[in-house]
Amino acid sequence: MSMPPRLPMNPPPREPAVLPPIDAVAAVHPRRLRVVLWVALVLLLLTAQTLLVALAFHYRSTRTQERVEANAAAASAELAQLFAKDLQAMLAMPGRDAPAGQWRARAEQLLVARPELLRFERRDAALAVLDAVDTRARPPLFAQLHRDQMQLETELACGATQRRGGPTYSRSYFVPLADGFGLEVMDLCVAERDSDRVVGFVVASYSLAGLLDQLSAQAQAPGHDLSFVEADGARLAHGRTRVGAGVYKASRLIDLPGTTMQLQVDSAATRPSLVPDLVTGLVIGLSLTLFGVVVLLARDVRKRTRAEGALADALAFRKAMEDSVVTGLRARDLLGRTTYVNPAFCAMVGYAADELVARDPPPYWPPEQLPEYQRRQQRRMASAPTEHARDAFETTFVRKSGERFPVMVFEAPLLDSAARHTGWMSAVLDLSAQRRVEEVARQQQERLQATARLATAGEMASLLSHELNQPLSAIAAYATGSLNMMDAHARGEAPDPNLWPMLHQATQRIAEQAERAGRVIKSVHDFVRRREHAREAVGTDALIDAILPLVRLQARKSGTRIELDLPAPMARVVCDRAMVEQVLLNLTRNGIQAMQSAERAGEPVLTLRVRQTHAQWVQLSIGDRGPGIPDEVSRQLFTPFFTTRSDGMGLGLSVCRTIVEQHGGALDFANLHDAQGAVCGAEFRFTLPAAASEAPRAQAAPAVASMS
Amino acid sequence: MSRMSLPAELGLPMVYLVDDEDIVRDAVAWLLRSRRLLSQGYASGEAFEAALADVSRGAWPTAPACLLLDLRMQGMSGLALFERLDERGLTEALPVIFLTGHGDVPTAVAAVKRGAFDFVEKPFSNNALVDRIEQALAASAATLLARRERARRLRGLDELSEREQAVMRLIAQGQPNKLIADALHLSVRTVEVHRARVFDKLGVASAVELANWLHAARV
Repeated sequence: MSMPPRLPMNPPPREPAVLPPIDAVAAVHPRRLRVVLWVALVLLLLTAQTLLVALAFHYRSTRTQERVEANAAAASAELAQLFAKDLQAMLAMPGRDAPAGQWRARAEQLLVARPELLRFERRDAALAVLDAVDTRARPPLFAQLHRDQMQLETELACGATQRRGGPTYSRSYFVPLADGFGLEVMDLCVAERDSDRVVGFVVASYSLAGLLDQLSAQAQAPGHDLSFVEADGARLAHGRTRVGAGVYKASRLIDLPGTTMQLQVDSAATRPSLVPDLVTGLVIGLSLTLFGVVVLLARDVRKRTRAEGALADALAFRKAMEDSVVTGLRARDLLGRTTYVNPAFCAMVGYAADELVARDPPPYWPPEQLPEYQRRQQRRMASAPTEHARDAFETTFVRKSGERFPVMVFEAPLLDSAARHTGWMSAVLDLSAQRRVEEVARQQQERLQATARLATAGEMASLLSHELNQPLSAIAAYATGSLNMMDAHARGEAPDPNLWPMLHQATQRIAEQAERAGRVIKSVHDFVRRREHAREAVGTDALIDAILPLVRLQARKSGTRIELDLPAPMARVVCDRAMVEQVLLNLTRNGIQAMQSAERAGEPVLTLRVRQTHAQWVQLSIGDRGPGIPDEVSRQLFTPFFTTRSDGMGLGLSVCRTIVEQHGGALDFANLHDAQGAVCGAEFRFTLPAAASEAPRAQAAPAVASMS
Repeated sequence: MSRMSLPAELGLPMVYLVDDEDIVRDAVAWLLRSRRLLSQGYASGEAFEAALADVSRGAWPTAPACLLLDLRMQGMSGLALFERLDERGLTEALPVIFLTGHGDVPTAVAAVKRGAFDFVEKPFSNNALVDRIEQALAASAATLLARRERARRLRGLDELSEREQAVMRLIAQGQPNKLIADALHLSVRTVEVHRARVFDKLGVASAVELANWLHAARV
């Protein structure tokens, strides 16, 4: 390859989904392939149609031919019968020894009964005509030509009779008639014997056309043309109908002593043609319908192709969407096996798609919680899909690197095109980043609150000191100045003439400034008193709920467990909410810090307890399992600015006590002792006035009214 | 109670007091008066600056003085006033003592680092404050005296003849009379006369003092 060595090509992106891949070859030349397919289909259909029509024609031809053959068979059988009857009748004619009139009468009688017979002749042994009887239905046969000119065939037959001994038929011959037409005639020659010696012959002349006329209606089925033909096909005699089309023919040879006749049946049916034929019509109709169906099919196929294109587009769109979203997507079947994951999910858990699909249990479940997760999954899988149309729950997954991280899973039932429930589709959000942000935000908020409180305290102190500094400075200056003057006077230095008025003035100013300082202090009191108006009845649970997030945050940092021991129903207190929350925060923080600083083996537990100790008092207590409070510390605990911590202001506990006492309550503390009597922690308790509960007051109302 | 003696020829010392609290001004003035110190009060930095509108560097104050300046005031703050005076070179002979309230201590410390004399926290311990004021006045007096001395020497320098100036430079370089005489083609005796006259006019006692002063005055 002449290609320059380049950067390694990116490996083709792994197919994360298990969707069936679209056939690439079909996608390249879909149009050409489709045209070829269509041409082939049309050709096949045309061939099939042609074959069908041809077969239909063939079938019809065969049927017609069969009918013709059957007709021919029937006709030949009937002819044979006819000949047999005639022969019997002839054999039964009176013989030579009978009176001459009797034979003649019999002959005439037979000619009437059997129209196919035209003439009887009685000849002697030398074939000379002795007697002849002609039928009366026709003109005499030999009127035009004399019998002598036309008896070659007859003589041959009689010769044969004489030789063989049995009756013999002659070959047919044409007898012209007076009307210009003629008849094809055949003779039957029967020898008359007198004890083996031939003494004479009886000859009967048949009309071939008459023979055919005598056939029954069955043999002469309409639409069929019966005729006798010669071997070369020349027609000798015709039946009554002359409709033969010359297409479907059947021949039968009729063997007679002396001659053989060929009977031909010719059907009136012509070759089947396309238009008038019913079957053909049907076939054509079917073909047309078929073509119509093909056209409809083609249209349908085109519609389908278009829909397929749209579907492919939608699929590509969906795929792009799945690949671009940062939300992890995961599909599971009804057994809980993963059937699909998108790249975002793979990136989230760090496994490739084929490491996830169909794995049970999934590798992103924390191994230590496997049983719990399996139970949860079974519960979910067992529930009806409508129960949680779109459920969200929080859980923990584990990355390939082993890192645990919290996720939020939104799960919705997965329905196929027939709306059957086939599994679950989940959207998975990685909460770890959000958690980190929350944590940071909380810490910042806490820091901010602490800073704000400190700033407020500092500002307050600064303001107060400024307000008090001025009068105090002035007082000190006047006092010192007065003392200086009085000292000078006492020392006997040159006396100031205005000493006494000046001293008076100074003392007056001192008094004024002292009063001013007093006003500053009073304004602080006023401020505190104004806060008292902010008191409200509030549930202790609301107080604890308000501080719990901050307390939990601290607790989480130090690994402290928080126990809540709250009464039911929740006690309500009347207090300045913000202040009391501050007290609770201070005390809980102290507790947590006490447990952190101590080197202890036990688990750090902070207990928040609320008890209604009296009808009018609710006690809140915060217990820790720290080292307790040493005696020397406990004496100074509530002194302002006393602190055991390097970073403390030392205001916390004294402010707490002030706040509680402003509410009329009391704050105290005690060390906790374990069973052996050793100190195992400290508990700070304070009381707040209970809010008059609603229900008892309502009950007591009449009594109160009657008392007042 | 210590009484500090200031050179009488400088005139009566004056304590300037800038504080926006009337009662504080009054009280401090009263205190100073009990220690026989004159004081003059200004209710704001702006008022004090207006009073000093036409004084120039080196020409004021003529008598020992110090400035008691409240750090936190309405309008111009004490620190701003101090900086403006410092820019005008007025703080050389006017030591500044800041009065600070709670929380202003870091600011006051920074001001001292930039040349303020001291700071005193309110509420002040009174006679200690006055003692500090007197020290400031003493410092002011010393500055004024040095300034006078320098002015006098500069005048003396002007009065020196050309020959005397040449001798002076060589003395300041540390050369002995003999070499000076050789360099200037003078007799050793004449050089000695010139040397005595230079020392007298400039009010110095030794060649080292002369060299130091010349170096300090950058003449």
